[in-house]
Amino acid sequence: MSALFTVDPRSGVPLYLQLIEQVKRAVALGTMAPGEQLPTVKALALDLTINPNTVARAYRELERDRVIETSPGRGSFVRTDGAPTEARRAGTDVAEGVLDAAVREARALGIDAAVVTTLFERALARWFPPEERDST
Amino acid sequence: MNAIDIAHLTKRYGAQLAVDDLSLDVSAGSVCGLLGPNGAGKSTTFKCLLALAQPTSGTIAVDGAAVTPKTFEYLAYVPELSALYENFTVGQHLEVTRRSFRTFDPARAAELAATFKLDSKKRIGKLSKGQRTAVALVLAFAIRPRVLVLDEPASGLDPIFQRAVLDLIIDAAAGGAAVLFSSHQIGQVERAADSIAVLRGGRLVLRGDIDTLKGDEKVVEAIFSSDAPSVNGLASDARVRRVERNGRILRLHVRSDADGVAREIQALDPRTVDVLDLTLEDIFLGAVSDDAVSGGA
Repeated sequence: MSALFTVDPRSGVPLYLQLIEQVKRAVALGTMAPGEQLPTVKALALDLTINPNTVARAYRELERDRVIETSPGRGSFVRTDGAPTEARRAGTDVAEGVLDAAVREARALGIDAAVVTTLFERALARWFPPEERDST
Repeated sequence: MNAIDIAHLTKRYGAQLAVDDLSLDVSAGSVCGLLGPNGAGKSTTFKCLLALAQPTSGTIAVDGAAVTPKTFEYLAYVPELSALYENFTVGQHLEVTRRSFRTFDPARAAELAATFKLDSKKRIGKLSKGQRTAVALVLAFAIRPRVLVLDEPASGLDPIFQRAVLDLIIDAAAGGAAVLFSSHQIGQVERAADSIAVLRGGRLVLRGDIDTLKGDEKVVEAIFSSDAPSVNGLASDARVRRVERNGRILRLHVRSDADGVAREIQALDPRTVDVLDLTLEDIFLGAVSDDAVSGGA
């Protein structure tokens, strides 16, 4: 299971948030399929060598965000009713935050809006080739 | 009711105040990392908690009751330097503990001894410091304690066995045990613990959930075109721990609402404003530094 999730306890980013992001990413990318069972809190805590309450907190938030569901005695599972959509929506939030920071940084460096737009278009062309864009 | 409840603990040794009005609780299933420089009062706190020392004032409760001989059926303590039966072998020592504790689980002890690669025929007096620590850990965890008090539990152990100790703490907490452990290695605390308590000069200077602290404690850094303005209003703001001005750079250590503080700084027209994350080590060092502002813990 450790291949699925990695967290960095030394980072300033709260561990439970790192874990939530990791699970959402796995669900959005399909590495974890709808209906798939997640490790138990104890197993994942031991696997990542992190506190069990931290894992439990991440699972609670993922339940609230409708990405996973937990049934007592059976365990936690990726939801079958739209978990990838929920996870991708969270991915959109992350992407917006990263883009926002990049634009703020560009402004701080004294780059004007027209140049920022050009840079953005260039990045878009690199990662979303035009032949792919029609199908999405 | 908390598994460990320390209320207004004060311990004086003559004129020296070792612990000063400490209140600290740990609930079942949670792990508290006790941090602080040498002489901050960590070991004295443990001694008072374990009835090895008489508090000058204040109360201590384990599972809602004062510590009595019965408490030790489910409370395990690993001191920094364990007193062991030097002339016994490891196996004999386990046997003594089995005979002394009704709750001792011999199968668990054997499993733990194997984890730490202890030779049951080896005499305690011939063990290295790390192996002695391992023996003390085996004895502590083999009674399957509900309350664990560990003073520098990984000292003298190599990185592999240090990781094994963290696994034991995590496993115990997942099983519902309350753990209070001290460590100078912040990396161990930020893995195994969910909360920290920081002592300095016998006083509790910071207490909180690690993830909440990491989410709240930030540095707002602004760089101005000329000398950074004085921000006297913010220096006394409840959200701000302290302000550093160094030429064109302004750094505010905040304990909450970093984004709000950053917006207020943005209004002063700096060239850049950034909100920087702090590691647990940064947060710890900030709490024990000489210019730390008291309060707010």
